[in-house]
Amino acid sequence: MTEFFNSPLFGIILCVVAYQAGLLIQHKLNSPLANPLLIAIALVIILLKTANIPLESFQRGGDVITMLLPPATAVLASSIYAQIQVLKKHFLPVVLGCLAGSVTSVASVYGLCKLFGLTDELVFSVLPKSVTTPIAMEISGAHGGITAITVAAVVCTGIFGAVFAPLMIRVFRVKHPVAAGVAIGTCSHAVGTSRALQLGEVEGAMSGIAIGVSGLITVGLSLLL
Amino acid sequence: MKLLLEISLIFAVCLAGQGLAALLPFPFPSSVMAMVLLFLLLLIKLIKPRQIENFSGFLLKNMALLFIPSGVGILESLDALRGSILPLLVICLVTTVLTFAVTACTVHGVILLQEAVCRRAEENKCGMSKGLAGKEDILHD
Repeated sequence: MTEFFNSPLFGIILCVVAYQAGLLIQHKLNSPLANPLLIAIALVIILLKTANIPLESFQRGGDVITMLLPPATAVLASSIYAQIQVLKKHFLPVVLGCLAGSVTSVASVYGLCKLFGLTDELVFSVLPKSVTTPIAMEISGAHGGITAITVAAVVCTGIFGAVFAPLMIRVFRVKHPVAAGVAIGTCSHAVGTSRALQLGEVEGAMSGIAIGVSGLITVGLSLLL
Repeated sequence: MKLLLEISLIFAVCLAGQGLAALLPFPFPSSVMAMVLLFLLLLIKLIKPRQIENFSGFLLKNMALLFIPSGVGILESLDALRGSILPLLVICLVTTVLTFAVTACTVHGVILLQEAVCRRAEENKCGMSKGLAGKEDILHD
């Protein structure tokens, strides 16, 4: 049986099945809290724990899937390129918004971490939590953070953003769709963007652009640390 | 065959991004470098969107799936997390709301500022053209 679980195919199939289950549950519940990624992670962890399958066995297939993360980040370029007209028109507000948001995110995370007295390892693990996972993982890894905690923080942040986006738009009286979109993308990356797409085309496009721009700005900020 | 070419093209850009990132004197994420590189290649039209549309569409649509193994990997660092789960959750929530508010206000503020500057420029232009029109009237007279 060990050989069965040790095949990379086991991990790959488990990921795909768990993700499909996550999508199905999201569809049935129709709630932003039912995030397919979160459900899939929970399902895989529960299965590994109850069946007593070692994490290393699962990660043989997991590593194959993780290998696709760099290409996935690279092709964000094509989604930004597809919206180049919108970006040209609102270039300055988009870039300045992403800059202000990224600085706020990094500074407030750093300040709160110090306030809670967290270790440096944890601080660098959560510092890039508002940018898209592959970028956040690289920033965290480069500074000696624990990438698994980074992923957890990024996923939590994304779900917070997706769940509370409509509420935040109302509370902060954000009337301009460009402002709403950039804000969602800057604070909660791709998971938030999926919610922004439901709010409107402009919101979705602007949120998508903000993933890339805020990611780049945060990389720049991390170089200063 | 088309899909195979698309995959190879995107992988090649990623590999080039990795090489470029290694050349830099400071640590820079190779995947971000690949993103910048691909954007530039699209801008100068060396790569056309339809040359990568299927594979990039597949990756963008299923991006969440690619994060599952990393998320499951949290099992490895449960010990590091123990005792700090609550502060980490609070930090994530508070900073997300703060980041949203600052970003939205900045974007809206800059848009309003730009519109005000544009209006002023237009008013000036109108004033000038009116003046010119007036001069022409005088000439015609």
